[in-house]
Amino acid sequence: MKILIADDDALSRRLLEKTLERAGYEVIAVENGKQALEQLYKLEGPRLALLDWVMPELDGPAVCRAVRTRSEQAYIYMVLLTSKGTKEETVLGLESGADDYLTKPFNAEELRARLRVGERILLLEDRLVEARENMRFRATHDQLTSLLNRGAVMDLLARELHRSHREQKSTAILLGDVDHFKRVNDTMGHLVGDEVLTEIANRLLGSVRSYDFVGRYGGEEFIVVLNNCDPNYALGRAEEIRKSISNRAVHTAKGPLALTMSFGVLLSGEWGLRPVEELLHEVDIALYEAKAAGRNCLRTARPAKVEPLPAPVPQPVRLRHR
Amino acid sequence: MNNQKETFAEPAWNHAELLERVDNDQELLRELLAIFKEDFPRTMRSLESAVAAADLKNAAGLSHTLKGMLSSLGAARAAAAASRLEELASAGATAPLKEAFGALECQAASLLPELDAYITEVRH
Repeated sequence: MKILIADDDALSRRLLEKTLERAGYEVIAVENGKQALEQLYKLEGPRLALLDWVMPELDGPAVCRAVRTRSEQAYIYMVLLTSKGTKEETVLGLESGADDYLTKPFNAEELRARLRVGERILLLEDRLVEARENMRFRATHDQLTSLLNRGAVMDLLARELHRSHREQKSTAILLGDVDHFKRVNDTMGHLVGDEVLTEIANRLLGSVRSYDFVGRYGGEEFIVVLNNCDPNYALGRAEEIRKSISNRAVHTAKGPLALTMSFGVLLSGEWGLRPVEELLHEVDIALYEAKAAGRNCLRTARPAKVEPLPAPVPQPVRLRHR
Repeated sequence: MNNQKETFAEPAWNHAELLERVDNDQELLRELLAIFKEDFPRTMRSLESAVAAADLKNAAGLSHTLKGMLSSLGAARAAAAASRLEELASAGATAPLKEAFGALECQAASLLPELDAYITEVRH
């Protein structure tokens, strides 16, 4: 583990350095508060710090205050080294944001024990961050397939539609449904059904680029969003995605299954900026058409032909309700 | 703390204390002594000029630094003399500063030969 030592006295610095190296730390030693901050602000910088109270440039408490004003970075456990250890000094040091203080000259054993306390705190923080990240993942992903869940897809899609509108690009939305999936569940059981969904998720993911996204929209419904997709190629790519399901059997515990998917496709560039819900409704109608047309095919949602824009008409007068 | 101090004949330098602090690492101890031999006289000279110029701020800072290196080294009496000097300078007492510096010099005068003796002894 990395540890920072900031002490302007070369003798104390060397002594600390060696003591901590012996204890297995990777030591970074600096001689003033300014250098200490530079190290602590580094990405992947030390998260344990021993700071001498009296130092040129910035003293120990000033370093603590500066570090504590930055909330975005990982927690840094800071120990102040003081020579007096009076009550007033202790209070002032802890108030400045230090986690602990040690009186110089230090006892090596006590120093190591106090640093172990710091390591425990840091470990605790790491676990909390990890738990939070896990929760975040679970809140935005489907448990079975690990694809984005419906809520996450809607959020991302809304953002993407705004962006493609702003940049005058087009986003392709594919809403796909596994054909006769109910039959799989009914005849083979839910476990095989789950295997099928997982394999389909993998195939869909494998057939898009890294900046596209794939989500589980509902039971056996999947959504694929092709960001910044040239409308001339969108249908061809949608066809490829359809074929990635139908071109080979899905292997399950109960043998291979030939499966197909039907898709509704929508090119946002043809629609202008519309609410996500509205576009999804349109693409859902297209999916229904694909089902009606015999399944294992695509249907595109096209806006009804609009007459060329007439000259501006006066706005209808609206009654105001208060 | 139950450090038993023999006030009489207490050496200027408690080399056992330092040896314990360095986990009996003779090489590190020699290295620390070398750092001290270089830094201490230089800091003393700066302090002397600060005291002569009645520059309290610098005098306080420099005596603090000296106190730190002396206590790390295990030179308790000299560290105490440096500490007194720091307190006086911080309190703004210009008058007794020179005398306190003299006391520190005096402690240093008994400390340095002990260090030198140790270095020579280790070498042989």
